[in-house]
Amino acid sequence: MRGPIRSALVFALIYVFLVGVSSLEAGIKIMGQDTQESLFSAAGNPLAALCIGILGTVLVQSSSASTSVIVGLVATGALGVDEAVPMVMGANIGTTVTNTLVSLGHIRQSNEFRRAFAAATVHDFFNVLAVAILLPLELLTGAISSTAEWISERLVGSAEIEWNSPIKKWVKEPVGWIKDLWDALGTSGNVQGGLVVASGLVIILIALTFITRNMRHLVADRVERSVNAMLSRGGGMVALLLGLVITIAVQSSSITTSILIPLAGAGVIALRNAYPVTLGANVGTTITALLASLAASSPASLTVALAHTTFNVLGIFLLYVLPFARNVPIRGAERLADLAVERRSMAVAYVAVVFIVLPLIGVLALG
Amino acid sequence: MVLAFFKGSSSDGDFEHIVTRSISMLADARHSFDLATLALLTDADPASVAEDIRDTDQRINDAEQDLRSELIVHVSVKGGADIGSVLGFTLLLKKIERIGDQAKNILELSEAGVQLSGTPEAEDLLAGRQVLSALFAEAGELLGDQDTSEEALVDYAMRVDAITAEHQAKIDGFMTSERPGKEVVPLAIYYRYLRRTAANLLGVVRTSAKPFPHADYLEAGAVDTDD
Repeated sequence: MRGPIRSALVFALIYVFLVGVSSLEAGIKIMGQDTQESLFSAAGNPLAALCIGILGTVLVQSSSASTSVIVGLVATGALGVDEAVPMVMGANIGTTVTNTLVSLGHIRQSNEFRRAFAAATVHDFFNVLAVAILLPLELLTGAISSTAEWISERLVGSAEIEWNSPIKKWVKEPVGWIKDLWDALGTSGNVQGGLVVASGLVIILIALTFITRNMRHLVADRVERSVNAMLSRGGGMVALLLGLVITIAVQSSSITTSILIPLAGAGVIALRNAYPVTLGANVGTTITALLASLAASSPASLTVALAHTTFNVLGIFLLYVLPFARNVPIRGAERLADLAVERRSMAVAYVAVVFIVLPLIGVLALG
Repeated sequence: MVLAFFKGSSSDGDFEHIVTRSISMLADARHSFDLATLALLTDADPASVAEDIRDTDQRINDAEQDLRSELIVHVSVKGGADIGSVLGFTLLLKKIERIGDQAKNILELSEAGVQLSGTPEAEDLLAGRQVLSALFAEAGELLGDQDTSEEALVDYAMRVDAITAEHQAKIDGFMTSERPGKEVVPLAIYYRYLRRTAANLLGVVRTSAKPFPHADYLEAGAVDTDD
C-alpha cells in the first residue's frame, strides 16, 4: 500500500478509535445509576484498581487500549479520577508483559536470554518501583491528580463543567448509529448499554491494532534509521527522547520495547542504553489516552490522561534523572535475569505471578 | 539521533546503505592488498605501509561490526521478511573482512623478512597482482549493480576459477619442487593467500547474486568454495 493511502487510512482509523471511546461513554450512560456503581465498586480500593489496571492491560496486551478505555469510563462519571489514577498506573505495569513474553523466545540460549530478559524486566522494575513510590504519594497528597487537574483546567476548564470537545461532535453521529443498531435489535436498558460498551471495546481494540500495524509500516524505515543512529552514539536522554518519538509514531510502547529485546539479546544494545528507550516509550504511550480524552465530554477524562503522563514523567525524574536511583532498576533486572538463567522455570513463573496471579488475588481480595 | 527519525524519506532503500558501505570496505581491502603485495614484491620497506594496512584492516573490521548491528536492527524492526538478504549480507561482510585479513597476512610475510622481488617468479607475480587488484574493482561494480546479468557473473566466475586453478597448480608444484625450502615455502604461502583472496572475491559476487542456501557452494553442491 502506498504511503499517502496508508496515512489516510491511519487518520480514518483514529476517527474510528475515537468513535469507540465515545461509544463506551454512551453505553455506560445508558445503564442505570445502580449498575454503574456496582460495575466500578471494585475500583474503590486503590490497590484493587491497580490490579484491575494490570489485568486489563495484560488481557488486551496494550496500555494504549486499556488507558483509553479508562479515559472513556471516567468521562461517564461512573469512574472517578481517584479510582482511575491507580488503574492507569496498573496499565503501566501490565503493558510490560509483552516484551517480557518476547524475551522468553530467547530462553534456550543462556547468554542471549540473560541479556534479553534483563532488557525486558528493567521496564518492569522501573514501573513497579515508580508505582511503589508514587501510588502512596498520590494517596497521601493527591500530587499526581492535582498536577494533572491543574494542567487540565488550564486547557479545557473546570472539572465541574461539561466540556464541548469539537471531536465529540464529530463522532456523535456514528455513536448514534451503534445505539440505533442495538435499539433495532430490540435491546434496551442495561443490556443495550452493555452491548454498546462491548461494541466500543471491540472498535477500540480493532482500530488500535490497525493504527499500530499501519504506523509501523509507515515509519519502519525512520525507526530503523534512528535506532542505528542511537546505537552508534549510545543511550542517555536522547535515547529516551527517541523511545518517546517512536512510541508516539507507532502508538504502542510494546512495539518500541519489543524491538529492543532481540537487539539486547543479540548484544547489539547494552541494557544501560535500552533502559532510557523504554522510559521514553512509557511517556510516549500516554499520547493515545490523551487522544481518547478528546472524544470525551468531561475534563476529568483529560485529567486522567494527563495523570498518566505526569506519573511517567515523575517516575523518570525519580528513577532516572536522580543519579543514585538510576542503577536500581538496572541492577534488579540483571539479578533477576541471572536467576532466570539459573532456573528457566522461574522466568515463566515470574510472568505468571507478577502479571496474572498477584493482580488476580488483589482484585478478588480487595475489590 | 532523534532528528534521524525525521530526516529523509520514509522509504529509503532497505539495503542500499549496506551495499554502499560493503563496496567501500572492498575498496579498503583492495588498498591493503595493493600495499601489502607491493611491500612483498618490490623493494618497498614493509614498515612504511604496515601502519596504513593495520589501520585500514581495523576500519574494515569496525565497518563489519557496525553493519552486522544494522542488519540485526533491520530484522528487529521489520521482521523476518528480508532474512535471506540479511544472512547473505552477513556472509558477504565476513568475506570482505577475510580479504582484509589476507592482505594483513601478506604484510606479515614481508615483515617476517620474506622478499620475493628477486625470485624468478617476480615478474609473473607483479602481473598477477595487477589482475587480482582489478578483480576487486570489478567485484565492487558487480556488487553495486542491482541488475547484474547472469553472463557477467559467469564471466567473472570463470576468470576467478582460472586464477585459483593456476594458483593451486603453482602450490602443488612447489610441494614437489627441488628448489630450497626457503625459496618455495614463502611462494607457496603467498600463492595460498592469493588463491583465498580470489576465492573470497568470487564469494562476495556470488553471495550478492545467489539465493542464500546455495551461497558458497558450487553447482550441484559438489564442491564448496575454499576461502
